[in-house]
Amino acid sequence: MSNIKEYLSTEHTKCDDLFVKMEETANMSLEEAQKLCKEFMEATEHHFQIEERVVFPKFEEKTGMVEGPTQMMKHEHTQMRALMKNMLASLESGNKDKFFGYSETLMILLQQHNMKEEQMLYPMMQQHLNAESDDIVDMMTSMKTEY
Amino acid sequence: MELDGLSVDQAPPISAPVRFFIAAPIFGFIAGVLIYFSDSASLMSRYSMESIVITHVITIGFLGFIMLGALTQMLPVLVGARMPKVAFVSKYSFYLLLIGIISMIIGLFKHNDFFIFLSSFGLGSGFLMMLGSMAIALKGVNNFTATVKAISTSIVFATIIVFMGLFLLLGYIGGNISEYQVIVANIHSVWAVFGFAGILIIGVAFQVLPMFYVAPKFKSFCKKRVVWLISTGLFLWFFLSIFKEDYTLFAKSWIAMFFWAFSTTVWIKLSKRRRPISDVTVWYWRSASVFLTLGSFLWIFDEYFKHEYIVMVAILIGGGFIISIMIGMIYKIIPFLVWFHLNGLGYMSIPTINEMINKNLAKIQFVLFLAAIIGFIFSFYMPYLLKVSAVSFCISMIILEINILAPILIYKKTLKSKPDFDMSTFTGISS
Ligand code: HEM
Ligand SMILES: [Fe+2]
Ligand SMILES: [Fe+2]
Repeated sequence: MSNIKEYLSTEHTKCDDLFVKMEETANMSLEEAQKLCKEFMEATEHHFQIEERVVFPKFEEKTGMVEGPTQMMKHEHTQMRALMKNMLASLESGNKDKFFGYSETLMILLQQHNMKEEQMLYPMMQQHLNAESDDIVDMMTSMKTEY
Repeated sequence: MELDGLSVDQAPPISAPVRFFIAAPIFGFIAGVLIYFSDSASLMSRYSMESIVITHVITIGFLGFIMLGALTQMLPVLVGARMPKVAFVSKYSFYLLLIGIISMIIGLFKHNDFFIFLSSFGLGSGFLMMLGSMAIALKGVNNFTATVKAISTSIVFATIIVFMGLFLLLGYIGGNISEYQVIVANIHSVWAVFGFAGILIIGVAFQVLPMFYVAPKFKSFCKKRVVWLISTGLFLWFFLSIFKEDYTLFAKSWIAMFFWAFSTTVWIKLSKRRRPISDVTVWYWRSASVFLTLGSFLWIFDEYFKHEYIVMVAILIGGGFIISIMIGMIYKIIPFLVWFHLNGLGYMSIPTINEMINKNLAKIQFVLFLAAIIGFIFSFYMPYLLKVSAVSFCISMIILEINILAPILIYKKTLKSKPDFDMSTFTGISS
């Protein structure tokens, strides 16, 4: 039995891992952190895409809640995309303080975002989309290969 | 509906929590001044008016305010619960509590029945409005996580101790203290500290440590059982202190043991955290953990010394543990709130969270606070330390206020300028 909630939560953890590695590296060398930063951004973007293109539309379709929680989540994705861009730019320009300023801000935004998803949105999704759960996980997995 | 907490327009306005945060250091400062002007002998006696007033200026004016403000802010995020009429409730209960605590100071110092009565009204209605609203919010939550359970339990304890507090306070009207005053005061204070504040902090720590510091998650045994075990201990202690006083040590050890386990766990989690960043909030969690450990053991130890050390226990746990956590929390929450609200309104080029509070000022604030707490503890043996420590405490509260106001001024100033980008057109945010 595939589980949407688990699948997406695992992705959160993976992104966290990349983030931590990036910060750790940035403490020593901003140059090397750039690669990790890009890796983190890619993984995060991929996750956002899965949410915005697969699971959110399904959820909206099923529940009719178009203006609701998914809208708020997408709005936070936009905020995080902007922060990630700034974060990479500050690495490229070698500004360590700026980098940690952005990374701290992003971290909190990201964590509270993930928490809301894992605690509220995903369980709701699982509940509403339970019957199609396997199909949706397949779809999410296949999106992986596109990248 | 459960998901209400997820929409921007349902999130509490920034003023709802911030009002409480701005007021808190002022009461911290007032408490410091009161300590400065009291003599150490009367502070060391638990039931002097001075110690009752100072206790509550801190527990209600500082800790209570921060806990209520933080809960208002975090309920939607941590547990997806939305308080009904949050803007209204948080505003009016704030003013009621403000009237309540100020009248308590006047009423108890001046033995004035009118102010004692006014205080009971303000504190009672203020607390019950907030707690009631939170209880309604929590009732709508379907996903009953460990944090939801902990917060709910803490709110139950809070409600009970508020009623007990009212009973105690009204007991001072006309001077007809009831025969139950001492026992109720005992239960009120232990349940307030361990049941209300302690359990709340544990529940929040489950979420916040992994979230802010990418520390390892708490074991599910810990998350599932600890709150229940501590509550059982607190009830056991309640029955023993009424019916079998000689055996209360058993329940005390039980409660203390779990809090000690918790503080050790916090220490270990922080050491294993995966984010290398170490800021003043990490120091605060660490100092909290040390003070809680010392306080828990001294609380048991105190039993063998005819409660000579109870005031020291109160300083360790109330001051060292709970205040530390509260300050650490607001240092994280306020900059984020400001950033989040401004960004949501379309202001893109704003300072990051790290740039809002002067790091050095935060460190100085921490050191002064720590010195004050340690000084208060030793003034038990060296009374001359009391005044210096009180001064240190007052200064740390002034700096804390500066550090709280800095992000809020950024918020106010930014609002006067034009947003870089009007997000509201497509997200429907209004504020
Ligand atoms: C409606 C709110 C409250 C009222 C009216 C109230 C009232 C009182 C009163 C009158 C006493 C003195 C008991 C006696 O006669 O010996 C007392 C003791 C105490 N209260 Fe409260 N209280 C309230 C809330 C709180 C809160 C929120 C906390 C902590 C989080 C707290 C912690 C304590 C402690 C630790 C003591 C023992 C103080 C000492 O021994 O000096 N109270 N309370
Ligand atoms: Fe998301
Ligand atoms: Fe997500």
